Amino acid sequence: MKDFEMRESGQDKKLRAKVGVYVCECGPNIAGKVDLDKILADLSELDDYQDVELVVKKYGFLCSGPGKEFLEEEIKSNGFTHLVVGACSPRDHDSTFMSICEKTDLNPYLYRIINIREHCTWVIDDKEKATEKAFSYIRGGIARVLRQSELFEKPLDINPDVLVIGGGISGMEAALSLSGEDRRVFLVEKTDRLGGVSIDLSGLLPGQGEVVKKKMESVTEDKNIRLFLNTRVETVIGFLGNFEIELVSKENAETTEIMAGAIVVATGSELFEPANSDNYSYSESDEVYTSISIEKMFSGEGEAKLRSGMKPSSVALIHCVGREEKNYCSGICCSYMMKLAGFFKNQSPDIQVTEFYRDLCLPQKDDQERYNEAEADGVTFIRIKDISTKGTDVSFEKMNGEKGEQSFDMVVLAPAMEPSADTEELADLLTVPLDESGFFQEVHKMTNPVGTSTDGVFIVGTAHGPKGVSDSMQFARASAGQILTRLIPGEKLIPEVKVTEILEAYCTGCGNCLDVCVYGAIYSDDSRGISVVNEAVCRGCGNCFGSCPSGALRTKHFTNTQLYREVDEALR
Amino acid sequence: MTDTERKGAVLPVAKEPGDTVLDFLRMAMTKEAADAVILPMKVPSGDSYAWILMNDISLLDDAVPIVPTMPVQGAKALRSLTRKGPGNLKVIAVMRPCEIRAAMELSKLGQVHSENLILATYDCPGAVQLQKYVDDPAGGDERFSGMLKKGNPDDSAKSVCHYCENFSIFDSDIHFGYLGLSEKEVLLVPGSGKGTEFLEELGLDLKKDLSSWEKGIEEIRADRVKTRKNSFEETEIQLRDIDGLLSVFANCIGCHNCQSACPICYCRLCYFDSETAEQDPDALITAAEKRGGISLPVDRIMFHTGRMAHMSLSCVSCGQCSDACPVSIPVADVFSYVADQTQNTFEYIAGLNDGDPLPLRQFRKAELPGVHELVKDADAEVPSHE
Repeated sequence: MKDFEMRESGQDKKLRAKVGVYVCECGPNIAGKVDLDKILADLSELDDYQDVELVVKKYGFLCSGPGKEFLEEEIKSNGFTHLVVGACSPRDHDSTFMSICEKTDLNPYLYRIINIREHCTWVIDDKEKATEKAFSYIRGGIARVLRQSELFEKPLDINPDVLVIGGGISGMEAALSLSGEDRRVFLVEKTDRLGGVSIDLSGLLPGQGEVVKKKMESVTEDKNIRLFLNTRVETVIGFLGNFEIELVSKENAETTEIMAGAIVVATGSELFEPANSDNYSYSESDEVYTSISIEKMFSGEGEAKLRSGMKPSSVALIHCVGREEKNYCSGICCSYMMKLAGFFKNQSPDIQVTEFYRDLCLPQKDDQERYNEAEADGVTFIRIKDISTKGTDVSFEKMNGEKGEQSFDMVVLAPAMEPSADTEELADLLTVPLDESGFFQEVHKMTNPVGTSTDGVFIVGTAHGPKGVSDSMQFARASAGQILTRLIPGEKLIPEVKVTEILEAYCTGCGNCLDVCVYGAIYSDDSRGISVVNEAVCRGCGNCFGSCPSGALRTKHFTNTQLYREVDEALR
Repeated sequence: MTDTERKGAVLPVAKEPGDTVLDFLRMAMTKEAADAVILPMKVPSGDSYAWILMNDISLLDDAVPIVPTMPVQGAKALRSLTRKGPGNLKVIAVMRPCEIRAAMELSKLGQVHSENLILATYDCPGAVQLQKYVDDPAGGDERFSGMLKKGNPDDSAKSVCHYCENFSIFDSDIHFGYLGLSEKEVLLVPGSGKGTEFLEELGLDLKKDLSSWEKGIEEIRADRVKTRKNSFEETEIQLRDIDGLLSVFANCIGCHNCQSACPICYCRLCYFDSETAEQDPDALITAAEKRGGISLPVDRIMFHTGRMAHMSLSCVSCGQCSDACPVSIPVADVFSYVADQTQNTFEYIAGLNDGDPLPLRQFRKAELPGVHELVKDADAEVPSHE
């Protein structure tokens, strides 16, 4: 890349700036709604006032193949110092035009896209007004681009290894998907065994136990997976590509320091304790079980028996235990409660099975079939809006307000899944926020459910929220996919360029910025009494910039001077 | 804020409350419970006071702990001592409640490190306006001693003192109480764990019932609350609209004295003095063209509103800004009025909510629903147009 030191900020008058201004017609989208020739003529007259040389042109579709070639050729042949493109939203084509700049000598940060489509032509019917506004915007853009500075990417070496926290089904799946010749995985499990909750839940799902056991074997045998049992994560510092982690053994308090490029959080979930709700009261001697304890009974002894050794002749399956308290649906309980109903019916076809539910949630592809089977088997489904139990006596209120009471030989509760006990502590350690239900917060529910606000930290399995084994494994693979494509052994990582810097002479260490930084990119240098930004972690969101009363923070490419001048000119 | 369970100690009464405070400090220094004290001392010319950090006990003879006027806000003295860290020595500072409250705000902003400080306050009857005191120190002394007797400010005092509700606080480490008492005595009241420990170390018996003093203070406070309401109503009328605001600050000469005197304004360089605030001549000419004319230097009003935005949540209404204004703008009345509203919004009282983080630095769950709506809107898929 050519050295542009003379042109920085466009403030050097010895070298006269030459700004290319290209307006995209976007077919009829822009050209049809404004007087483009008037805009071009007015813009051409700005050169004296701005003390720059301007080249102003229009083109049909700048984002098309020929359009891109045209723009590239124009930049090269004119030797522009700056470029302004009047076109669409930067969300559509900012990166397109930046890549064109990269093919030339023009630093992409000396270019600016001005959105005259969404902001002008699509929202203003009056052609004259749209023309005036588009012109003002572009004029602002010229003023801004002249105050922009060249920015350069600073590639960083990366560590391709991965830390996986949690040895349940999703942690194991992530570890197995990631481990390889050139990538080690550190798998940390707080208990003394792999498998997590999926082992406890294996009785009900034919084949699941085998799957889990196979995974456990593969993990143990994989020489690229280093397993730490009875171990917790003590400290984490760093960022995508470069995390320093300290692990502590729960057995002998020995610490191990490891380096990894990414962290997969697979810490799972726990079950809501029914005793914490006023609605369910029972003692140990009552024939009341949770989904897990009844599963253990089925998988251990092959059948469900009362404490007397007799088989129950009636059983109540109560869904949604804790749903009101937690305010979310756990999504998997309906499915396994129906499976459980089948087990009871198999055991004794005459058994009276009653399922109490608030809403039925049947998202998996064979759930509906299972429901149909249960109905055919004579299972009673009662939709309730309120329920309470005392031992095996159930009082309920149906949706229509009708109240009922019934006694059963056995009651099985399906408690909600809730975040593991260590979730908050770990969230603090990783600077990842929690959602309203206390699970780890994803970047976006639909577009990136495994990513977190801390780049390089991924959440999988039920640490993300209630889900079944199959979804947990999908999440694990999704996180592995992101890591495999971003941390390629031997390649470098390019961190965000538009980061925030602290002007040390202005900073007096009040710590406002530190408190509002969601990425943990700012730390306090106590010896100097000032704040310091770790540019590799900063994502340039600008929170800190807004919180600093003295203007000691400056987000590159969004400086006050750049923004003020753009606004001043646009409103001129 | 009042805690009926609270108990204090009774100090042997000297001539004036200030002498009692000095006797206590001498005792604390002699028992080596503190390494140094920060107290006001009269300047050689006799017309003002300066904060002196002293560890020579004989210097206490010339100190005036309960001082008639406020030249430099005490929090600024504490900041200059502890900005770079708490240090290793124990220091007692005796200051007005508004000074200690400012110091508490500064400690949340990393500007004061109070770990090794014992912050002491006293019942403050008000402070004589600085200019009035400098013009006539003897008259000022007389006025102040009258205020001490009455427990209320007179017309020589700063305007904010007349409606100050926090002239007697429980939030410092120790507090000297004497206003509103029928008998001539000085009570020593611990306000923090650190204060209690400190007093117990000195062997003081903390058994004195405080109810009659608290009652006296409440009576004085009731008057102040009334005055406060009236003053805010007047200010509100003055600030009724943008023209009102402009006219209040119309004769501002842009000296920024208010900001220099403000204990909360902690920036090394005020944003409004920085390069970023300097504007492009073309932009200014354009603005002048549009409005027919603009006042220069620019941003005189913006400076005040900007300062309000930056510091009003921490404003302790100490009135230093008004004292520092050479053109008699009622800066403190305006800022106090604005601070009252911003602090009420966040249920925060500057300098009194010791454990609470600064409102703009914390995110309360109760604030979430509104934000969630915003996020939902932003999440709505944007149709893509190629």
